[in-house]
Amino acid sequence: MTAISVSLSSDWGQTRMPPTFSLSKVGRRYGEGPAAVHALRDVDLDVAEGELLILLGPSGSGKSTLLNILGGLDRATSGNITFRNSSLSAMPDDELTRYRRKQVGFIFQFYNLIPSLTARENVELVNEIAENPMAAAEALDLVGLGDRLDHFPAQLSGGEQQRVAVARAIAKRPAVLLCDEPTGALDVRTGIRVLEALVEVSTRFRSTTLLVTHNADVARLGDRVVRFLDGGIRQIETNTGRAAPAELIW
Amino acid sequence: MRTLDRKLFRDLWRMRVNAIAVAMVLGCGLSIFVMAVGMRDSLERTRRDYYATQRMADLAVSLVRAPERVEADLAAAPGISAIEVRIAGYALLDLPGIVEPASARIVSLPARRRPMVNDLVLARGRWPDVTVADEVLVNEAFAKALDLGMGSTLEATLRGKRQTLRIVGIANSPEFVFVSAPGELFPQPDRFAVIWMARETLARAYDLEGAFNEAVFRLAPGANPGQVKLSIDRIIEQYGSMGSYGRDRMPSDRFLVEELRQLATMAAFLPTFFLVIATFLVNVALARIIATERSNIGLLKAFGYSNAAVAWHYAKSALLLGAIGAILGSIAGVWLGSLMAGVYRDYYHFPRLDFQAPLWVFLAAWAAAFAAASAGALAAVLNAARIAPASALAPPRPVAYSQSGGVTGALGRHLDAKSRIILRRIVRFPRRSATTVIGVALAIGLLVVARTFPAVMERLLDVHFSQTNRQDVTLSFVDAREAGVLHTIEHMPGVIYAEPARVDSVFLINGNRRVEEVLIGTQPGARLNRLVGAGGDIVTPPAAGVALARALATKLGVAAGDAIEIEQTRGNRLRTTVRVAAIVDPMVGSSAYMDMDAQARLMRQPGQVTGANVRLDPAAYGEFNRELKRTPALVGASFLTLAEKSMRRSYAEGVGYMNLVYLSFAAVMAGGVAFSAARVTLAEQERDLATLRVLGFTRFEVSYVLVGELAALALLAIPAGCLAGTLMANWLMQLFRTDMYSFPYVFNPQGYAFAIVFTLACVAAASLVVRNSIDRLDMVGVLKGRD
Repeated sequence: MTAISVSLSSDWGQTRMPPTFSLSKVGRRYGEGPAAVHALRDVDLDVAEGELLILLGPSGSGKSTLLNILGGLDRATSGNITFRNSSLSAMPDDELTRYRRKQVGFIFQFYNLIPSLTARENVELVNEIAENPMAAAEALDLVGLGDRLDHFPAQLSGGEQQRVAVARAIAKRPAVLLCDEPTGALDVRTGIRVLEALVEVSTRFRSTTLLVTHNADVARLGDRVVRFLDGGIRQIETNTGRAAPAELIW
Repeated sequence: MRTLDRKLFRDLWRMRVNAIAVAMVLGCGLSIFVMAVGMRDSLERTRRDYYATQRMADLAVSLVRAPERVEADLAAAPGISAIEVRIAGYALLDLPGIVEPASARIVSLPARRRPMVNDLVLARGRWPDVTVADEVLVNEAFAKALDLGMGSTLEATLRGKRQTLRIVGIANSPEFVFVSAPGELFPQPDRFAVIWMARETLARAYDLEGAFNEAVFRLAPGANPGQVKLSIDRIIEQYGSMGSYGRDRMPSDRFLVEELRQLATMAAFLPTFFLVIATFLVNVALARIIATERSNIGLLKAFGYSNAAVAWHYAKSALLLGAIGAILGSIAGVWLGSLMAGVYRDYYHFPRLDFQAPLWVFLAAWAAAFAAASAGALAAVLNAARIAPASALAPPRPVAYSQSGGVTGALGRHLDAKSRIILRRIVRFPRRSATTVIGVALAIGLLVVARTFPAVMERLLDVHFSQTNRQDVTLSFVDAREAGVLHTIEHMPGVIYAEPARVDSVFLINGNRRVEEVLIGTQPGARLNRLVGAGGDIVTPPAAGVALARALATKLGVAAGDAIEIEQTRGNRLRTTVRVAAIVDPMVGSSAYMDMDAQARLMRQPGQVTGANVRLDPAAYGEFNRELKRTPALVGASFLTLAEKSMRRSYAEGVGYMNLVYLSFAAVMAGGVAFSAARVTLAEQERDLATLRVLGFTRFEVSYVLVGELAALALLAIPAGCLAGTLMANWLMQLFRTDMYSFPYVFNPQGYAFAIVFTLACVAAASLVVRNSIDRLDMVGVLKGRD
């Protein structure tokens, strides 16, 4: 099945500023020949500076694949991707590592904190290799964990661990914030608390934020919603107004 | 095959690096066990069979001269089943094409029959014809070393009379399985021969017609050796007997027994060491499998598998590893044993010596392999059985760390986050860290031990040849001579300097303890032959009394200040009471030492010497030897350079070769431990390392976290390993101590450096191989899944 192309007609798409990401005919194929699996095919998309973009779709629809490619963890097998006018597709591994180090903040479904480091140290870990990061305590304060600085991951709840991950991601003031199912492992209340932290910091730092979810209600948080199906974009919707996390129901 | 068993094989395949490490270490230990125990058994069996078929003597006696009729009295003594009286002595040989004179032990053959005791095995040729005076048999090792065949001739000086001997046969005797010249440390097959010839000819040469000077006996079954010895001694007392003795004083058997004892020591020590390491590796490998199998264990239990079934499933992995190790060990053991048998064939001259390990050795090896694997798996398997299904199925919580104060806390504050990860992991998992440290330390220790042996050997050679015996040649006289003979020797061509020497065979007696040893005469200010202690210190012998080697003093149960009796072994058998003036620690031999003049007086030969030590001018070496070959009053000439060369060759071929095997095994162990630790560390940290990569850390920075932990543990292992190596080396040197040698522990800095560098290189290589996995870290995959 081919992806349904949708013209990009929103304000966000028509870019008042140069887009953060510009994707043209981006595909990702695993394997060769008849056994090949197309995780992503012919994706065209512009993501504007400061936009909060929700990537929505069922499992295996390609949204995480796209996120990984934009984060420099994976490479497209066809098409072209530019990040602020430089081609991600052409970057060698070293440069991709530098790109992740300087520009990208990641938030994962399973937090991926280093268990042997405290909340503060998990943030400092990234600060050590970032240019001009904010203090770890400040970042943790932003996500409401100012009083849990010296706790190890095992001493924190899931929601708290995820908020540490948010603090770790935003401490370097990244240009791009990539969140893969950040509330996937959390209950509603905790999930909302995490989303609040996420929305707050992304707005404050005008980070271009891409949030992968399969929860349709979370889509109301974004400026635009990109719906994925079978490796392609089925539809892009522009929200007239962003909902606050507290208003979500799931 | 059951599905669960298929899973087992796949799990092992996944852990193949660890599995190979376990199997190889286990295999190394077991191969040494199979080799050492098998070799010991083969030697023991060969010796027993050889002694039985050739009627090896149980008792022997030397005397000055006994008439032939005494033979009947001896044969009639109770407890004796067979007797052979004979004429034996030493001769100097002049071999064509060889500069130095060689020496030989000459033994008579009975006329027209085979010896009743100590029968020979003819390897080639025929028995001598008693009617032809010059026909002789020579021992096989000598014939081989000099490429002598039937019809070859030897020029021998027998008691001052020169005689040409013609070889008609080549033989082996149970009495001469190990052949070395008296006073020599190692066999020199080209320098010392055993010659058998007709009794009549020998009797003429030794003026013993109608008489004999040696008798060898076989005991009747159930006879009491002590009683029989007493009866023999009573009968021959008046013929200048030196007292009958058992196999413990027959040089060849004494060496064999020592060898068997050392093989037993080796069979006990080294395999144990390897089994301990293998146990540790099995534990690491299985603990890792079970850690990654948590959810599967929960699943199996949820399906209804019992705790016992789950435990058995994982125990089977350990037993499989044990079986692989046992197969490797059995095959390698037989192979090493065959190589070892080849080495022994050069030392010990049996008509045939093959490596044949009995079934029980293999059974014991397999049992040991399974025991080691089971012991290693025990904790991990119990853990698998103990996991509750619900908690096994639930995602694991992050490993709990807590704020630890103290050194870690203080140290942690000064480190960057990556180093803090390393430090906290080491402190958080003290048992795992300790096992890695212990494993690496044991590898270092074993290498230290393996490298200490050559250093000890080098020290022994140095002390013996460069410090104790600084002469070029030691001459032994047929009979004691006036000290004035030194002037004659000094005037021989090429002699730069000569010193008198005095060596007497004596009995040292303390109460009912009686030991036959050599009493060595010392001279204050001697330049050539000196008494050197194990520490390399020159010991000044006491002016009065006797100094005893520590081993001898222990045997006699005496200390410095005690009085002992010294009895002549020949002549009037005079006994004198002497005070033990000092206990000394020579590296070679367990002799007694006395001032040379006092010794001569004690032996009732005042002013007489039994030999001379000579320093030669190398330019006149040939001329000196030509003169020596014409000197009839000599019984032997020992050339120190040749002895050292032969000792070094023997060492390189025997001990050196085995040392190489141990060194390789130690290397396998160091590699096994390092790879195993590196793999486990990677497996445990994979997710964290991938996270670091995703967060923008370079490969180099991520490698630091992985390699840093191993490096830190390896560094911790260095002092522990050096200490363990030193203790083990000291202990082993004690175990290998014999009457003949005392091995001091020798500090060998290069050995330690080698052990450390080699082990660290193994750890580095292992880290590098594992580090490559960082390049292949599946950042996406690792982050998606929970484990």
